[in-house]
Amino acid sequence: MSAYGDEDPRIQGIKTKIRVVPNFPKPGIMFQDITTLLLDPKAFKDTIDLFVERYKGKNISVVAGIEARGFIFGPPIALAIGAKFVPLRKPRKLPGEVISEEYILEYGRDCLEMHVGAVEPGERALVVDDLIATGGTLCAAMNLLERVGAEIVECACLIELPELQGRGRLNGKPLYVLVEYQ
Amino acid sequence: MEIMHKASSSLSCKISFFPSPDNIDSPRTLATPFRHSSASSNSQQLQLQLNRSKNHRPALSPLRCTASDSVKPQEMASKDGQDPRIQKISSAIRVIPDFPKPGIMFQDITTLLLDTKAFRDTIDLFVERYKDKDISVVAGIEARGFIFGPPIALAIGAKFVPMRKPNKLPGEVISEEYSLEYGTDKMEMHVGAVEAGERALIIDDLIATGGTLCAAIRLLERVGVHVVECACVIELPELKGRERLGDKPLFVLVNGA
Repeated sequence: MSAYGDEDPRIQGIKTKIRVVPNFPKPGIMFQDITTLLLDPKAFKDTIDLFVERYKGKNISVVAGIEARGFIFGPPIALAIGAKFVPLRKPRKLPGEVISEEYILEYGRDCLEMHVGAVEPGERALVVDDLIATGGTLCAAMNLLERVGAEIVECACLIELPELQGRGRLNGKPLYVLVEYQ
Repeated sequence: MEIMHKASSSLSCKISFFPSPDNIDSPRTLATPFRHSSASSNSQQLQLQLNRSKNHRPALSPLRCTASDSVKPQEMASKDGQDPRIQKISSAIRVIPDFPKPGIMFQDITTLLLDTKAFRDTIDLFVERYKDKDISVVAGIEARGFIFGPPIALAIGAKFVPMRKPNKLPGEVISEEYSLEYGTDKMEMHVGAVEAGERALIIDDLIATGGTLCAAIRLLERVGVHVVECACVIELPELKGRERLGDKPLFVLVNGA
């Protein structure tokens, strides 16, 4: 179920701050640019507050953020709910021991990595990214966490592109978004 | 499909993710507000060889806050002149030898992010310094600057501006090229993100040679922004990045020797 909170009065303000850039990174793609949201301190704060209000008191000990825009939204949420922040990164960025999860792109494959030892079995985790499209990246992120025995409580994104049906690709895990782009 | 890349043999094995605290009692970790050389670095190197398979080692030694001239130094709570939160921050940072290539001692802040109090303290130390300084822009350098910049921006009521590698930002950007050890790289910022006359802070996790920070300073100054200070969690003083910033002040929490 799309719990995208459209009754909250802050949502409209957030939605208007997201800029759509046509034909980026390639023709036909309507790119959802959240950087304009970050330029509005109130809208940015409201965004974080909406997630924090949802997740504080849920015993979440891990917020995993997907490189790179998940690094912008994940840490403020983690700090506010008292969870640790775990960056999920492209290959060879994390030093030391990592585990990797490969995932499929439109053309080709990519890989997401997480530090060994960052998350312990039984921990309750949130996965954060700015946007869910096909759900491939979020799926890889969840797999990494589940492989080390963490429990995925929810995936949280600012934006969903429902036509790409990413929500159905999350192996039954719940998804919470603030805004849908049709 | 999974690729196991140097994974631990048992998922439940408790790798000591934090550096061992055996450096805490050594004299060189007593906080001083002044630089001092890491005389024990040779013995540390040896220790590193031995500890390498455990993937952790005692963390950074000198603990230091630097105060710029243009921003008034905050009061230090402890009598040796250092904020008591610094010690824990420093010991939460993990050093990984020979990453990304042999000879480089990589300062890994991800272990700091796993320590909720130390991460909170890190942000608080910057926020305490910069709130009430009329800073309207926090610029964070991709990607680890994205972790520290936004919490600071949110707390001081500033906007956050990501400074990115090429071709990541959509729409109109301005670019600044900068030198690497071998070759060059480019940093980009959105046109219109900042306005002339705004006061800015630049954030990254670490300053090494200062090349990246310099590029960020130039990008902001090109559009008429006043860079108040550069702020990093870690400085590698031997690489003299501070000098490369010229007249721009630098504030760091911790030295990596």
